[in-house]
Amino acid sequence: MWWISVKLARRNIFRNKRRTIIAATAISIGLTALIFMDALMIGMQETLVRTATASFLGEAQIHREGFRDKQEASLTIQALDEVTRSLAEEPTVQHFTQRVLVSGMITSPANVSAINLIGVHPPTEKFLSLIDDAITEGVYFEADNSRDVIIGAKLAEILEVGLGDRVVVTVSQAKTGELSQEMFRVSGIYYFPDEGMNSGMAFIRIQKAQEMIAIGSDVHEIAIKFTSIAYTQDSTLPFWKTYSQHGNEALSWTELMPQLTVVLQMTTYSKYIVGVILFGVVVFGIINTLFMSLYERMFEFGVLRAVGTRPLGMARVVLFEAGALAMVSIGLGVILGFLVTALLAHTGIDYTGIEMMGVTMQELIRPVMTVGQFIVYPIWVFAFTLIAGLYPARHVAKMAPVDAMRRSF
Amino acid sequence: MEQTQKTDVIVTEDVTKVYAANGIPVNALNGIDLTIESGEFTALVGPSGSGKTTFLNIISGLDSPTEGKVWLAGKALSEMSGNELSDFRRDNIGFIFQAYNLIPVLTVEENVEYIMLLAGVPKAERHERVLTMLETVGLKGVANRTPTQLSGGQQQRVAIARAMVSEPTIILADEPTANLDSKTGADLLEMMRHLNSETGMTFIFSTHDPMVMERARRLITLRDGRIDPDETR
Repeated sequence: MWWISVKLARRNIFRNKRRTIIAATAISIGLTALIFMDALMIGMQETLVRTATASFLGEAQIHREGFRDKQEASLTIQALDEVTRSLAEEPTVQHFTQRVLVSGMITSPANVSAINLIGVHPPTEKFLSLIDDAITEGVYFEADNSRDVIIGAKLAEILEVGLGDRVVVTVSQAKTGELSQEMFRVSGIYYFPDEGMNSGMAFIRIQKAQEMIAIGSDVHEIAIKFTSIAYTQDSTLPFWKTYSQHGNEALSWTELMPQLTVVLQMTTYSKYIVGVILFGVVVFGIINTLFMSLYERMFEFGVLRAVGTRPLGMARVVLFEAGALAMVSIGLGVILGFLVTALLAHTGIDYTGIEMMGVTMQELIRPVMTVGQFIVYPIWVFAFTLIAGLYPARHVAKMAPVDAMRRSF
Repeated sequence: MEQTQKTDVIVTEDVTKVYAANGIPVNALNGIDLTIESGEFTALVGPSGSGKTTFLNIISGLDSPTEGKVWLAGKALSEMSGNELSDFRRDNIGFIFQAYNLIPVLTVEENVEYIMLLAGVPKAERHERVLTMLETVGLKGVANRTPTQLSGGQQQRVAIARAMVSEPTIILADEPTANLDSKTGADLLEMMRHLNSETGMTFIFSTHDPMVMERARRLITLRDGRIDPDETR
């Protein structure tokens, strides 16, 4: 009996080819959309995280406890030598760099602007930020000149300065609070799509920054890049505990940029919501198709019931038809999903310049395909198709043969 | 009626069927008492709306009477569950429809063997019985064709083969010649009469066709839901 039900379902699916093709295309487009949307979300999340961490933040940072809230220049990292030595031997750490961070003022003959002055160690900084790649004019700390300053294009515009022009930077010293002023020459101008980075930051060598605020060889921040970004979301990693000692705190980007974590959670929820909507469309498409097919063959179902097919046998025929339709649709959807996603992963989707919760997209978003997308979603579509088929199957099973065959005797 | 006679295939007792047409009750059958014995070749005749369809639906268990009882092969249909009725129809009733109503996606062989599949007849036996039956109805060599590749007369022969292959107690035929030309209709009627004589299977026709009426050994006329008259020849 199973054999004949399968045979009936398979052949009935191809009985009205046009309808089957339309229905299967609709369902497969739903599946394609699910696969593509998942791939896009992964691509978007990865790009967001990469943009946020690679531009300047790093994947993790170590600070003195309280520094992030108070931004006091005196709150430098404790036991710096021990921390630095340990980081150099840490197997999970690929690169790290030290920074000095202080608020200050930059003045040109034409204008003045508040800035975050950042002292960097150029050889290691280039592994943690994209400043060197973003230079549009001049160079990135090439010569050994302690008076080089690199500023953003917007800040250069505000100050009305260009390469080689002189600017004066004023900061407060860490312990005494006395003002410290130094003259610098603009040696490089960078451009980032992020407005804040363009207009509010100035980079000098770390030794000069330490000298200006009188903190000796101390630093405020160590930015870290792991061997795998997955470590950033692993709260059980011993790293966090090891480097959260001596009054310091080691934090992942997820804690440093909680708003981005929220965005990522939101994208996951939106994925579920869109998924539910798409599945809803698919389910109603299936129910509609099955009912159209069913009403077209009502008399035939009546005949099958009349000659002795039990109600459950009738339901089985309809469910098998739903299954056959799902198989055809899944085949189409997987192929279509692969092609669409692969194409857009190759070309990329241009969201550059668009800011999302403080992160400005700086690269193309490329959808990321995973094996799971081509297993999980087809299984879901198959299961939902069968679930959707239960309603028409129940309808057929409960149908009185005489009603179906009203036109017979 | 407590028990049917051994040779009584169908017994109806005071069968009444009332339909609600737009809320107005319509009596399709008015207290039909009828006995049909095994081996009969009976035609149920009457004008449209006389209750032939309703009566066939009720005696085949496809519909239930508003009042009264039906016994088929000694069993009261009203006492059976849905599954029992399905199994009972499968084992005891063969249907022949006016429009053949073969399953278009199945081949001739699959159409004919469908009922045996439901009954769990082994594959080899099914195949043998289908071929024998197709030969009996004059359709040797068409087992692998689909119904759409056959003429109307051939399709009705397949329908007859499907109805008879499981050797049911009774064959119910609804206007079996209505869609056929005179010659094909006459040939099929002769064939069914021959099968009736050979196998002793009971045939009940619902018909307007004079050819069927001529060949029937019993003519039951229905008028306004009542038998008027019941003639045996």
